[in-house]
Amino acid sequence: MDKLLGAVSDSTRRAILARLAEGDARVTEVAAGFPISLNSVSKHVRMLERAGLVRRTVRGRDHVLSLDATPLAEAAAWIAHYQRFWEDRLEALDKFVTNKRKHPRKRKSS
Amino acid sequence: MNDVNVPKVIVRREIAAPAQELFDAWLDPASLADWMRPGGKTRATVKVDPRVGGQFEIVMYADSGPVPHTGTYKEIDRPKRLVFTWNSPYALNNDSLVTVEFRPARGATEIVLTHEKLPSAEMAAAHTKGWSEILVLIGESFDKRRSTA
Repeated sequence: MDKLLGAVSDSTRRAILARLAEGDARVTEVAAGFPISLNSVSKHVRMLERAGLVRRTVRGRDHVLSLDATPLAEAAAWIAHYQRFWEDRLEALDKFVTNKRKHPRKRKSS
Repeated sequence: MNDVNVPKVIVRREIAAPAQELFDAWLDPASLADWMRPGGKTRATVKVDPRVGGQFEIVMYADSGPVPHTGTYKEIDRPKRLVFTWNSPYALNNDSLVTVEFRPARGATEIVLTHEKLPSAEMAAAHTKGWSEILVLIGESFDKRRSTA
């Protein structure tokens, strides 16, 4: 998870992901879209690879990059799960408190 | 508003009850056993040690079997704010944090619950940009692939 967050924390890397979201591309094609050196772009790409967000396929002399959104899909699933979970829990808390107020049981004197 | 640095869930609900009463429902085992039950039909067993550094354990009995939820209280500021860590089989790692705030709102209380999946404090601090942005991006890419498939 740390690697994933580190990978998406940088605007250049997010831009690389955006580029790859449009379709697979060679490293040189990706680099052409940025005002930084091929070497810097390669470093960013390696970070994205380590985070599991980008896959590299070697075809002859070309290194073709493609997006793998699986790790992000896991984060999205986590969010969806807990959004629902806590909404349901707060609804249950509301019912619990409302019922208790309608039908008060004997309480310790305060 | 803070930037969305890490996967984060924010849920709000206004409940017609005083903040103290709602706050106490979060630390009382009998209360928790009632409303910390997904689906409503299952049962839950609850143990709490309601002090900072104390632990809780809520076992929810689903059809598929018992699901344990555990955590440690980080902050107990009655009746305003409650902070605890949250671990469950769904949490993937042990570093998620729940903050519950109780805000008085005209005869009612607004509960604002934030659940963050923290990788580590340093990582969270290091990130200024976000998840919502990247998730939108990925969503768009899925839509595009689907439409071209």
